[in-house]
Amino acid sequence: MSLQRHDLHQLHQLTGAYAADALTGAELAQFEKHLGQCPSCAEEVRGLRETAARLGIATSIVPPPALRRRVLEAATRTRQLAPSGRRLLDSGAPARGGWLRRALPRPVTAAAMTALAAAVVVLGIVLAGTQHRLEQAQSANQAVAAVLAAPGARIVTSGTTVGGTVTAVVSARDHEAVVTAAGMPAPPASRVYQLWLISVSGARSAGLMPASSTGSTPPVLAADIQPGDHLGITIEPAGGSVRPTTAPVVLLSVYA
Amino acid sequence: MEASSAGRQDDAGPAGRGQQLAGLLTRVARGDHSAFEEVYDQFAGPVYGLVRKVLRDPAQSEEVAQEVMLDVWRTASRFDAARGSAGAWVMTIAHRRAVDRVRSEQAATRREQSLAFGPVHGEDVAELVESALDQQRVRRCLGSLTPLQAEAVTLAYYGGYTYPQVASLLGVALGTVKTRIRDGLIRMRDCMGVPW
Repeated sequence: MSLQRHDLHQLHQLTGAYAADALTGAELAQFEKHLGQCPSCAEEVRGLRETAARLGIATSIVPPPALRRRVLEAATRTRQLAPSGRRLLDSGAPARGGWLRRALPRPVTAAAMTALAAAVVVLGIVLAGTQHRLEQAQSANQAVAAVLAAPGARIVTSGTTVGGTVTAVVSARDHEAVVTAAGMPAPPASRVYQLWLISVSGARSAGLMPASSTGSTPPVLAADIQPGDHLGITIEPAGGSVRPTTAPVVLLSVYA
Repeated sequence: MEASSAGRQDDAGPAGRGQQLAGLLTRVARGDHSAFEEVYDQFAGPVYGLVRKVLRDPAQSEEVAQEVMLDVWRTASRFDAARGSAGAWVMTIAHRRAVDRVRSEQAATRREQSLAFGPVHGEDVAELVESALDQQRVRRCLGSLTPLQAEAVTLAYYGGYTYPQVASLLGVALGTVKTRIRDGLIRMRDCMGVPW
């Protein structure tokens, strides 16, 4: 299905707004999708982003001296992300969609994820003492299993405003959580549930909740949880948003 | 006062300088703290300056600048020199963090007020541009834009507004703002000799 010439022209016009981070919501998702198929747009975005960066660099002022020590000190306590197997088509800046691809080891198959879903959902109810299922989970996916098996991992759960419940197994030690939903109605047409890490300084996308026909979603791994973060789920246009555009249907305090 | 030599890319030859910064980020990705110190010293000024420009509030700006620099540390492995300069990568993170902060606060306000786009407090475009510190070149190039292009680019980038917000601030149609931001940035790009 190809877009009409007029629509394409309209999309091309968005390179500037995109480079200036002035696009949001569905339009942003649509444009990012288009970027993958339009090398000339990607090229233009790249140049405009370099240009915008010059505008940014031109604002340089001396930062508060104490900031340096704080940042360098915090870095010694902050784990770095492993290189991703797959690059985003965008500028490489973090926090855009598709993080699940990057956050999970590559050989995660849909089947493995589905198998794991069962393990996690059961785990949400039974919690401890499910060593057998934990082992299944471990063999299916190390990253998710590591959270489930982490010493001191906690379960938090809450009903959502649209029905059903969301459960997260949180490992504060690993700064990660495995999130799954049960009994949540399917999102409206052309909408998805998107998972966020929300703090006073804003929301970072933690990926889309996988679609589910049974109402129980496969587990999603949220990485890089920081103190003060909440896990939230919002309804977003298909493809997800860079920032939440609706009020969360559920908000879990994950970092006690 | 200019805080960092990252603001003077052109003096040292942009290509060599860009390679040096890219090399630093590669070392940072391997956990090299001394490389990160250098990256901090190169970029803390521009990052703090931009965040402050968008957010205005010094305390919040300091907080966000810290998050940005830590993002650089955390995600250095995601930097890909084949797809853009180190400077663009860092400044993109800074800009997104700053607008995220602005918009999450607007979202909170909006929720409380139920609907209606958050109060878009009047920004003095001229002052925004004037207070830009270098940077005669940026200023000169902004000056070469049409007034509407300059306002649209400034409100979007320095003001952190979405383009529909820019349209409503300027009282022009959405489509007009879209093209003005693009045309304005293209003209800036050509004026500043950005090599893409």
